[in-house]
Amino acid sequence: MEEIKKGGLVDLFDLKNVDIHIGEIVDEGEEEEEWEPMGPHPMPRMATLRDWDFKLLNRYKPFYAPVCDMCCLCTYGKCDLSGNKKGACGIKMDAQQGRMVLLACLVGCSAHCGHGRHLLHDMINKFGRNVPIDFGPEVDIEAPLTRLVCGIKPKTIGDYEQVFSYVEEQIVQLTDALHTGQEGSYMDFESKALHMGMLDSLNKEAADIIQIACYKMPTSLPGGGPDVPLVDVGIGTMNTDNAVIIVIGHNVPPAADIGVYLTENDLEDKVDLGGICCTSIDTTRVYHKAKVTAALGRQLRVLRAGIADVVVIDEQCIRADVLELCQRVHSPMIATNDKAMHGLVDRTDDDPDKIVDDLVSGRVPGVIILEPDQVGEVAVRTALEMDKKRRSLKFILSDDEFKYYVNDCVLCGSCTLACPNGLYIGEANKSAAAGNIKPLADLFDICVGCGRCEQVCKKHIPIVDMMTKAAYPQLKEEKGRMRVGRGPIWDSEIRVVGAPIVLGTIPGIIAPIGCGNYPNGTKDAWLIVKEFAERNYIVTLTGCMAIDCALWKDEDGKTLYEKHHGGFDGGGVLNIGSCVSNAHIHDAAIKVASIFAGRPLRGNYEEIADYILSRVGACGVAWGAMSQKAASIATGFNRLGVPAVVGPHGVKYRRAFMSRPDIKEDWKLIDASDGSDVYVEPGPQDLLVACETVEEALPMMAKLCFRPSDTDRGRSVKLTHYIDLNLKYLHTYPSDWHLFVRAASDLPIATRNELLKKLEDERDWKIDWKKKRIEEGPIRAYNPSFNPTNLERLIRGKK
Amino acid sequence: MGIEIPFDVATIAGPEVGGVAPPEVIGSYISSAKRPLLVVGSELLRDEFFIDIAIELGKKGIPIAATGHSIRGFVEKGYTENIYYYNLHELTNCLRDPNWEGLDGAGNYDFVIFYGIIYYYASQMLSCLKNFATEPLMRTVSIDRYYHPNARMSFTNIMPRMEEEYKAMLKEFVSSTKR
Repeated sequence: MEEIKKGGLVDLFDLKNVDIHIGEIVDEGEEEEEWEPMGPHPMPRMATLRDWDFKLLNRYKPFYAPVCDMCCLCTYGKCDLSGNKKGACGIKMDAQQGRMVLLACLVGCSAHCGHGRHLLHDMINKFGRNVPIDFGPEVDIEAPLTRLVCGIKPKTIGDYEQVFSYVEEQIVQLTDALHTGQEGSYMDFESKALHMGMLDSLNKEAADIIQIACYKMPTSLPGGGPDVPLVDVGIGTMNTDNAVIIVIGHNVPPAADIGVYLTENDLEDKVDLGGICCTSIDTTRVYHKAKVTAALGRQLRVLRAGIADVVVIDEQCIRADVLELCQRVHSPMIATNDKAMHGLVDRTDDDPDKIVDDLVSGRVPGVIILEPDQVGEVAVRTALEMDKKRRSLKFILSDDEFKYYVNDCVLCGSCTLACPNGLYIGEANKSAAAGNIKPLADLFDICVGCGRCEQVCKKHIPIVDMMTKAAYPQLKEEKGRMRVGRGPIWDSEIRVVGAPIVLGTIPGIIAPIGCGNYPNGTKDAWLIVKEFAERNYIVTLTGCMAIDCALWKDEDGKTLYEKHHGGFDGGGVLNIGSCVSNAHIHDAAIKVASIFAGRPLRGNYEEIADYILSRVGACGVAWGAMSQKAASIATGFNRLGVPAVVGPHGVKYRRAFMSRPDIKEDWKLIDASDGSDVYVEPGPQDLLVACETVEEALPMMAKLCFRPSDTDRGRSVKLTHYIDLNLKYLHTYPSDWHLFVRAASDLPIATRNELLKKLEDERDWKIDWKKKRIEEGPIRAYNPSFNPTNLERLIRGKK
Repeated sequence: MGIEIPFDVATIAGPEVGGVAPPEVIGSYISSAKRPLLVVGSELLRDEFFIDIAIELGKKGIPIAATGHSIRGFVEKGYTENIYYYNLHELTNCLRDPNWEGLDGAGNYDFVIFYGIIYYYASQMLSCLKNFATEPLMRTVSIDRYYHPNARMSFTNIMPRMEEEYKAMLKEFVSSTKR
C-alpha cells in the first residue's frame, strides 16, 4: 500500500484489496438536542469516580471474611494468604479478597451486559433500530441511569448501541485489572468493583428499557403502573390437564414468541405457559395468561416433579444439569441462547416439522434454536404431542416408594453436612418412618433446592423427591397471586412522594430483590414485605423475592399484592419486574434527586449519589442473595448511596461495607449552605451488612433508612418504627436509638416523655422538662436548614 | 485433638485449620484469657437450656454480645447485666480492630467464644478474625455442635440424636471455665 501522505490523507483510488465498512452515520443536523448541560463525568472511566468511591470506602471500610485462604490463580501458587500474608506475586489477603469481589461483580455485570446486548441485537433484528423509547404521559425521564452515567437521552433502542459499547469497553479494562501483576490495593479493587456495580445498574436499565419499548410492556399507558393486572403464582396454579411449557432464565424473546404462537393459534386454553425465575416474570409482562410457576429455589423440584411437557431455557440461573433433569422426566428441552447450549445440536433454521418429530420421538433429548421467533411453534407443537405421551407417567414417588426410602435411611448425617442450610434430613426421615411426615414436609420450603444431599447419600435416596412427596398436598394448593412487573416508577408519582421521602414522613423505600437462597424458607420474604408495607414504607420488589412473597396469604386468603396498592407511595407493594427491572429502583431514587430537588442528571453521577446517600431513605434487601449478579447489583446500589441488607448466606460474598459509629471523624459531613463541618449521626450506618435472622433484619432495615436530612417529623416516624421493630422482634430497645435523636421533636409524640426520661436516666442527657427540650446530649442539634453533602465542590457559600 | 469433617463439608479454607477439642480443654483454654467475650446467636433460642448456659458464663464475668435475635431469650429471662445486642457482622468488624473500645469502653477482647450461631455465618466471621485479627492475636473458639475449622478449637459435629450428650458437654465446659 502506498505510504500515507502527510496530514493523514490517503487517496482511495490508489488502494487495492481494501474493504471499507461504513458504520453508524451521524448527521450533523441530527446531533443530540441540548436537553441539559453536560455534567462533569459523562461515561466515567475506571478512575473517574475514584474520589467518590474513596469517600464511601473510608467511611464504610471494606470488611473481608475469606471463603478460601489461598490464591490459586497462577502457577506461583497455590499461595497461602492466611493471616493477611503476601502471596508469591506480592498480593496480600485483603487485596486478594477485593480482587475476588471484583471478579464476582465482573461476572454479574457481564451477565446483565451480555443479556442486554443480546436482547438489543434480537430486537433490532426484529423491529429495527428506531423503536421509540416512550413510556407514556407520566414518564418524562425515561432513562435516569443512562442520562446520569452516559449523558445520553435515548430516543430509540438503537441509541443503546453506544451505551453497551461503553460498558463493554469498561468491562474489558476492569477485567484487565484482575490479572496477576496489576492492582495491588484492596481499596482500589473495591473502587473498581463499585464502578462495575454502577455499570451493572446501567446494563439493567438498558435491557429493561429495550424490552419494554419493543414488547410494549406496562408503562404509564392505561393498565400500567399501579394498575397492572394480577397473575397466578405457584406450582399449584399449573393446570396439568393441559400441555405445559416451562420457561427458565432471564431473556424473554423466546417465551414471548411462545405466547404469540399460542394466541395466534387459539391455543391459550390448551397449553399452560409457566416459568421459573425472571423469564417467567417478564413473560407475564407480554402474555397475561402466563403463570409464574416458581422462583429459582424450586427449579430442581419443579423439573423433577415432571410438570413440564417441554422445557425452554434461555440464559442465567439455569441449573447446569437441566438437560439431565429433563431427560429423567421425558421433557424435551429447547435451548435458545448461545450462552447455555448444554451440548445439544443447533437446529436453528431447520424445518420445524423435523425438529418436533425428533423431540417427540425421543431421538434427541433437546435442541438448540437460537432464533427466538422460531421457538414458539416448535415448543407449542412439541408440548401438545408430549402431553399425550406423558399423560400416564407419574413422577411423584408412590406411597410404597416413599415408605421404602424413609426406612432405608441410616441416619449417617452425610446429607446434613452437604446441605447449605444444615437441615437435619435424617431425623425428618426417621419421623416419617414412624408415621409423621410433617417434619419432612416442613423441610420442603426451607430447602434451597440444590440437591447436594443426594450427591452424598450412600443409600441413593432421592431426598429431593422425598420432600416433594411429603409436601405434595400443600404444593397442590400453592396458588398465589402477584402483580405483573410494572417497570418504571412514574415521574408523577415521584412528584407526590419526593418530599415525604426526603423529609422522612414516608419512612423509607424497602427494596426486596434477588435470589432464593434463604436461611429459613420463603415465608421470610413475605414477612419482610408485610411488615414494611403495613408501616407505610414503599416496598418495591423484583426477581425471586417478588415471586416468593406471593406464595403466602393472610387469614383472609389474600396475598400482599392483593391487599396493598401497587402505586409508588406509602404502603404500596410494587412488583417492578425481573432482575433487570430493579434498575427502576435506582431510577426512583435518582428521580427524587432530579424531580424533587432539581439536581441536574446529565453526566452527574457523583452529585446524585451524594444526594441519595444523605437524603433518600432507601434500603435494599437481598435475603436469599446467591448469584454473582446479586453481588454486582448490591455493589451498584452501594455506589449510588443505597445500603443493602443480605441474609446470612450473604457473608459468603466475602465482603461487606460497614461503618464505625464510634469513630467520630468518619461522620463528618459538610453543610453545603455555608461550608461548615457537621458531625452527624450514623445514617445510613452500613452500606452492606448481613443479618442472621429475619427478626434481626427487620429493625436493621428500618435503621438503614435514617438519613441526616430527615426533618424532625420524619425522624420521629423513622424512630417510631425502629424502636417498635426492635421491641417486637428483639424484645428490647435498640442500644443505639439515642444516636438518632437531635431534639425532643425527633421523638414520637406518643412516647416522647417516656423516651426523654430514658435519655435522662440511661444516657445522662440534660432535659429541660418545663420546655420539654433536650439541653445536652445529642451528637448535634436539629437544624432544619442543614444541607448535607460529602462534596466540597457543592458548597454554596463560605461561612 | 482429633480430626473432623467441617459441619458444612466444603468449608475447608486452607492450611490453617483449628482442631477439635473436648469441653474441658476449651474451658481451660478460656481460663487463660484476659478479656474474653461470649458471642451468642439465634440458635440458642431453640431450647431454654442453651440460654441458661450462656447466663452461667455471663455470671462468671464474661460479657455477652447477643447477635441475631438471641437477645430476646435473655430479656425474657430477665438477664440484662453485662449483655449487649450487636449485629454479628458489625461486631466482627469491631473485633478485627485492635483499637476498638469494646462493649464496655475498656478495650478490645483477646478471646472470643462463639455459641449458638448459624454455622456458615459463624464460620465466615471466624475466618475474618483468623485472617485479620492477628496483631495482637485474637484467640477464637466455638462451643457449638459443629466442627469449625476457622476457630482455633471447637467441638466435633454433634447430630440431634446426641443432644443430651451435647448438653452434658456444655455443662462440663462451664464447670471447666475458671474466671
